[in-house]
Formats: sequence, C-alpha cells, structure tokens
Amino acid sequence: MLQIQNVSKTYPNGTQALKNVSFDVKDGEFLVVIGLSGSGKSTLLRCINRLIDPTEGKIIWDGVDITAAPPAELRNIRRKIGMVFQQFNLVKRSSVMTNVLSGRLGYVNPWMSLLGIWPAEEKQRALEALGRVGIADKAHNRADALSGGQQQRVGIARALMQDPKLILADEPVASLDPVLSHSILQYLEQLNKEGITVICSLHFLDLVHRYATRVVALKDGVKVFEGTAQEIDRAKFKEIYGEEAQEVRAASL
Amino acid sequence: MPITRIVRNALITALVIAAFIVSLRVTEADFPRLFRDLPKGKDLLTAFLTPDVFTREVETRTISIAFPIPCGSAPTESLLPSDGPRLVPSVNCAAPLETFTLQGFDLQPNSEVVIRWRLPDGRTMTAIRTQTDANGYFTYDVQARPIQSSVDGVPSRLEVDTLTPVGGLKPSQALKDVMDNMFVTIFMALLSTTLATIIAAPLSFLAASNITRKGCVGTVVYYIFRSFFNLMRSYDPLVMATVFGFWLSFGPFPGFLALTVVTIASLGKLFSEAVENIDPGPLEALQATGAPPLHTVRYGVVPQIVPDFISYIIYHWDINVRISTIIGFVGGGGIGYYLNLSINDFKWNQAGTAIWAIVIVVWAMDFLSAEIRKRLT
Ligand SMILES: Nc1ncnc2c1ncn2[C@@H]1O[C@H](COP(=O)(O)OP(=O)(O)OP(=O)(O)O)[C@@H](O)[C@H]1O
Ligand SMILES: [Mg+2]
Repeated sequence: MLQIQNVSKTYPNGTQALKNVSFDVKDGEFLVVIGLSGSGKSTLLRCINRLIDPTEGKIIWDGVDITAAPPAELRNIRRKIGMVFQQFNLVKRSSVMTNVLSGRLGYVNPWMSLLGIWPAEEKQRALEALGRVGIADKAHNRADALSGGQQQRVGIARALMQDPKLILADEPVASLDPVLSHSILQYLEQLNKEGITVICSLHFLDLVHRYATRVVALKDGVKVFEGTAQEIDRAKFKEIYGEEAQEVRAASL
Repeated sequence: MPITRIVRNALITALVIAAFIVSLRVTEADFPRLFRDLPKGKDLLTAFLTPDVFTREVETRTISIAFPIPCGSAPTESLLPSDGPRLVPSVNCAAPLETFTLQGFDLQPNSEVVIRWRLPDGRTMTAIRTQTDANGYFTYDVQARPIQSSVDGVPSRLEVDTLTPVGGLKPSQALKDVMDNMFVTIFMALLSTTLATIIAAPLSFLAASNITRKGCVGTVVYYIFRSFFNLMRSYDPLVMATVFGFWLSFGPFPGFLALTVVTIASLGKLFSEAVENIDPGPLEALQATGAPPLHTVRYGVVPQIVPDFISYIIYHWDINVRISTIIGFVGGGGIGYYLNLSINDFKWNQAGTAIWAIVIVVWAMDFLSAEIRKRLT
C-alpha cells in the first residue's frame, strides 16, 4: 500500500504546486489522477519516486518512508517503481535494445554495465519485454527511428525491465492519437491485471471511465475529489474543471 | 537640456578623433609606403610564388688529365685517347700565367660542366662552370697559375665533372624539411587536442550545472571548475607558449604544453555547455529506474553528447594547427619555426614553400573538419 500523507510542494520560485494532499493507493489499483493543466499532477507523481522532493509530508510505501530514504535506499525503492513519460524520454541516439536494457541498471553488475557489457539473460529479458509490447523486431533500430506509439511501448518495456511493483505513468498518451492511446493504456491495463499497481495521470475523461479503478482529482494543487469515475457528476466536474469546461465534457463523455 | 547635449557630443567626438590620431602615431601608420615600397614587395612576392619544391637528381661523371706547370716539372699525360669522352688541352703543359684552351669531346650533351684543378696535395681549386653543346663538346680558355705548379714531380690535374640530370623530378630538400616540420605541427596539434580531450571531457561534467550543481558540495565543485575553465580560457596561447618557453627552453614541447592547457579550458567550456544542453528527459528516466549516478550519465548523457564532442574536438584540432603554426614562430618548433628561420636567412623560396604548405594544410583541415561535422548531425 502506498500512503500519501499531507504532501505539499513549493517550488523554489514560490509556486505552490501541491497543497496538503493525502490519499492511499492499495496494491493492484489502477489509480488515475486528473486535473487541469498546472493542477499539480506531474508534481504529485514525481514526488512518489522523488524525482522531486516534497517540501512537506510523507510518502510511505509498504511501511517504508520514501521521503526519508537516503540515496542508496532510494535507488533500491526506485528500482521497483517503473515510470512512463508523456515525452517517452528515450535516449534517441541509442538503440531500442539499449534503452530497454537501461531499465535494468539498478540490478546488474555496475562495472560491466558501465562498460556497456550485458549478460545474455538480460538481453533475453529485454527481448521478452519488447515482445510483450509487440515490437521485438525493432530491437536494433535507433530509438528515434520509431513512431510515437512505438516509442511509448519501448518506454513501457523499459519500465517492465525493472520488474516493478508500481508503475507511474505521467500522461502516457497525451502526445498520441486516440487509437494509439487505447493500445498503450491496454498494455498498462494488462500489467495492472497481472498485479502491478498503476498510478496514471490522464486528460480525457472517456479514458478515465474506461481504465480507472479509482480517481483522484487535483485543482490548483489541492485534492478536490477521490472516488470512482462514475461518481464524477456534473457538479463535481464543474468543480474540477471549472465553469468553462462544460462543452469539453459533452465532447469527452 | 540641448546645450549640455551638444557640448557632450562635441566632447565625445573630440575625444574619439584624438584617440584616432594617437593610434595612427603609435602604429606609425604610413600608408603611402605601401606604394613606395612596392618594388621590394614584388621581389618577395615572386620568390614566394616560386617555392622551392622539386629538384632533379644529377649523375656526376669525372675525367681528368695531368697538366704539369711549368713544362718539364712532371711527366705530361702520355696517351690522350682519340675517342670516347676525353679532354684535350691545346698544350700539354704550360708556364705559369700562360693561357691555353681546354676542349672536351663526346661528353654528356647539354650538361653542366664543372672545371677544376686538383693540386698535387689533393686540394681542389676554383671551379669554373660551363655547358656542353648538343654534341657533348665544350671549350674554355684556362689560365695556368703559379699555385698550380707541380710539387716534387707530381703535377696538378685538370678535372672535369659532367652533371647530367637523371630520372624525373624529385622533392627538394626544402620540401622535405617543410613536410617534416608540418608533421611536427600537425601532430603537436593532434597530441595536444587528444590530451586536452582526455582531461577536459571528464572535468566538463563537473562544470555542467545540470549534472553537478546539486547540494552544497556540488555547487561548490561546479563553480570551481566553471571559473577554472573561464580563467584559463582568457590566457592567450601565444603568451602561454612564451612563458613555458622561458621555463622549458624553446622547442616543440613548451608550445605543445601551452596549446594543451588552452585547449583543456576551451574544450572544457564547450563540452560542459554541450552537457548542459542535453534533453533532461532521458536522464530523468534513468534516475527513475534506480540506476547509480554514474550510470545515469553513461547511458542518459553520453549518447546525447557524442556528436557535439566529436565535432568540437575536430574543430579544435583545426584551430590548433593554426595556433601551433604561430606558436612555432615564437620558437615553438614545427612549420612556424621553420618559416621564421627561412625568413631570417632570406631564403625566400624556401619560405614560399612553407607558406604554401601552411595555406594548403589549413585549407584542408578546414574543409575536412567542416565535412566531418556536417556528417555528424
Ligand atoms: N520546476 C518547476 N519550477 C517551478 N514551478 C514549477 C515547476 N514545475 C512545475 N511548476 C509549477 O507547478 C504547478 C504544477 O505543475 P505540474 O507540472 O505538476 O502540473 P500538471 O498538472 O502536471 O500540468 P500539465 O497537465 O500541464 O502537465 C504549475 O503551476 C507549474 O507552473
Ligand atoms: Mg504534467
């Protein structure tokens, strides 16, 4: 279980991105975080694996305080948390294989991997991970030679290499078209069914309805809703997205 | 206030004009001299335009006859051959100061001929140069001198060398020297660039804010290296070479050291900027996997910067060839030093060879580095 307890984040420039946010994520959930642009979704997800250090509050995972972990322990925690990004964040000039293998850097012999030497079984594991997202044949292409959807699948394969218990997906489909969005989210759904907890931020409500087991909504860094997608009624929607968003809702529901 | 404005502008104008006048004085600018001294420049230019590049190999054949001075002091050449390459003097022997005619027959046609005396003690004397005609014939009036007199019955001999060019053109000594020195310069540039790369590449990460500037220690390290690079960069390689030159005596080594130090600073700065300009996304993704810090750099940063780094290295090699030419001029060895020596010795054709070599190499390096850098992106 992941416990977010009274987390606040104030950036050095004074922006208060999160204000006293608390909620729990049970193992096996597909939790979707929604909110307007700038509401603090990315900040929240990044606090969980401490790409950003929260200013206040605690994040506790299976009894371990992530927010207090010293560097070495933090690396061990991060190994078990896969992350998928809106911009894929692949190393463009490296091969797909190298990108996927790099998800394993927390596990393998550090000297060998520093020299770029990988054991055969890790390469096998990488090919299997690529197979699961359907692009094993692209292993030896350069990452930037792939389409956006394919690059995001490489991103998922990289996260899979970590043998994760939790996957953080920060708007994983925001730069993809609707058809591709479903194919990517179906991979995440599949992983979720196999027991990996998923925390995913999304923009479109139809996707939220289709995939979320539970929803947390943020507005200006404050948690304004927690519950199932069905519970988001007209009034709640207005609260989360504001008056002007009426039209969007009609389009997206 | 318009009045103060006008006064101020007039003052500034006056100051600028004064500054120009002083500048003209101190640089001893004398533009008419450009035209007055044109003839001098023309000779130089011709010499530069006819660089010493090729020579021909010559084969030397020597024949000689005994020639007693005065007559009777020694036996004369007994039997003169009547065919084949041969020397035929108009007289067998001569009194001192007597003039006679020396003829040569059937020598190499159209060749340079060197006529000289070999004295009884083996020393040689005053050569005369002439040419054979198309039949291999020459004639020359020779005056016998007292100094050429026989000693103890041993006569002086008349020796004639025929110099025939054989084979095609071959590189002249100057060209060989220029090439040797050019190699010194190019390799000095290559070695200093390589050494500087080895040192600057790791240090550049320490001067990159996105890698190092984290926490107290990181920030201090970042500022130390950043200012180190900025400080070193402000030293001119030429000044540095002179300093090293006084310390280590002149030659290629101090020049190489100076070049290396300046290149470390310059590459370090360029490299660290390349590191700062990477896409932070992949680096962040690798940090999120729990990879150790060094590995996030190895897998997340290095692949992104390789093309930039290579491009900067080649660019710097190109620059360093030029700088090391100039450093050579102040005594740092290599082609610059050779050029300096040639000019000091008034060997203008030789200097011309060096200048042409520099022009060609600089152009080639420029072209090559531009081509390679184009391919990289
Ligand atoms: N590094 C930063 N420094 C200062 N302010 C930041 C930083 N990152 C984000 N912010 C600010 O914090 C607030 C929350 O940003 P965040 O990126 O978490 O929002 P988001 O919900 O992910 O938005 P989006 O949907 O556009 O991705 C915004 O006002 C943003 O401008
Ligand atoms: Mg975001």
